[in-house]
Amino acid sequence: MHWGGNGADGELTELLARAQTGDADAYRRFLRGAAPFIRAVARRRLRGDEAVEDAVQEALLTVHRVRHTYEPGRPVEPWLAAIAVRRAIDIARRGGRVGRREVHDEAAYETFADPRTNAVERNDDARELRRMMDELSPGQKEAIELLKMREMSLAEASTASGQSVASLKVNVHRAIKRMRLMLAKGPPE
Amino acid sequence: MTKLPTDLLIESLAAQAGPVTPLASPLRRALAAVAALGLAIGAAVLLFAFPDSIAAQAADGRGTLGFELASMAVTAVLAIFGAFHLAVPGRSRAWAYAPLAPFAAWFLLSGVGSYRVLANGGHGGWELGESVRCLRFILMVSAIVATPLIWRLSRARPITPGPVAWLGGLGAGAASAFALHFFHPFAITFVDLGVHLLTILLVAAIIRLLDRRVLRPA
Repeated sequence: MHWGGNGADGELTELLARAQTGDADAYRRFLRGAAPFIRAVARRRLRGDEAVEDAVQEALLTVHRVRHTYEPGRPVEPWLAAIAVRRAIDIARRGGRVGRREVHDEAAYETFADPRTNAVERNDDARELRRMMDELSPGQKEAIELLKMREMSLAEASTASGQSVASLKVNVHRAIKRMRLMLAKGPPE
Repeated sequence: MTKLPTDLLIESLAAQAGPVTPLASPLRRALAAVAALGLAIGAAVLLFAFPDSIAAQAADGRGTLGFELASMAVTAVLAIFGAFHLAVPGRSRAWAYAPLAPFAAWFLLSGVGSYRVLANGGHGGWELGESVRCLRFILMVSAIVATPLIWRLSRARPITPGPVAWLGGLGAGAASAFALHFFHPFAITFVDLGVHLLTILLVAAIIRLLDRRVLRPA
């Protein structure tokens, strides 16, 4: 789908209007058609394919949440561009925050360059983590896996798991509390 | 940190493609909100206002009163229109600045009016006087006005909640200050004016602080 002409915009406008009535096929085609446009907007504001793809996914999730705000008959491009820009800015800010938190450690090379150096500790940690995860309830385990290990946003995790955002938050909170207690107690004899 | 392949995400979202009711245009929704607000203020004035409030303020040496009231009303209306427009993605950002000119005109005209009262030897001067009542009135009426307004705005799940909250707060505060004139049977002093300004900014700031909770941003 090519952007910049009325043809693509007109087609997407029609698809989105149909998607608002619950037409899943039109919605799928709309999202597929919108993704390259969002990607192009994100590329103008972000560096790195990963950050761009994060912005695309965040924007698609936002489109899903606010699709009722699109007014049928109006051009879809400004509506979509505003969402894409907003999410690209969010990702850029988040990236900036991570950059400020992370520091360059000269000694890290010596310790971490050879994966064998830390293999024993890493295996112990992984075993300990698995043990703690096994102790959690299925909901708590799923929340930790999606939000902390796979680093999904709350909305994505909610989509993937079927748990509401509120219950994901509660499950993560309880899981971390429980794991802290387990860590404080130490491994079983 | 990309988590799911984008194609998979699209499939997952398409699987949840339930029907949604499109929101009416921001213009229509803002018009409805302003009309409801106008009716509510009109009814409150008819039922509870001091009958001679406006006449008393006019007699207190304020030739600018009509313009002040008009600029307050225009500030409230433009702020509400702006909030409804900015709540929807892709609408002109210029709406954020629409109420600034009438807002400035309102305080300029009120400042001139207050100066005239002072120059004519009117009451008040620099005392706090009735200002505490004004503060209470504006806060109370703003809370009543802002609650349904914010609820209506939250239906759009604004992607940039900050400006929507500021404008919604300004609209509620300006509408309350406008209504106050019908319950305020004496001229406004500089202190009253300062209190009005601070209270309106306080209302807007409270709504801004609560924006992520009350506006349900997407």
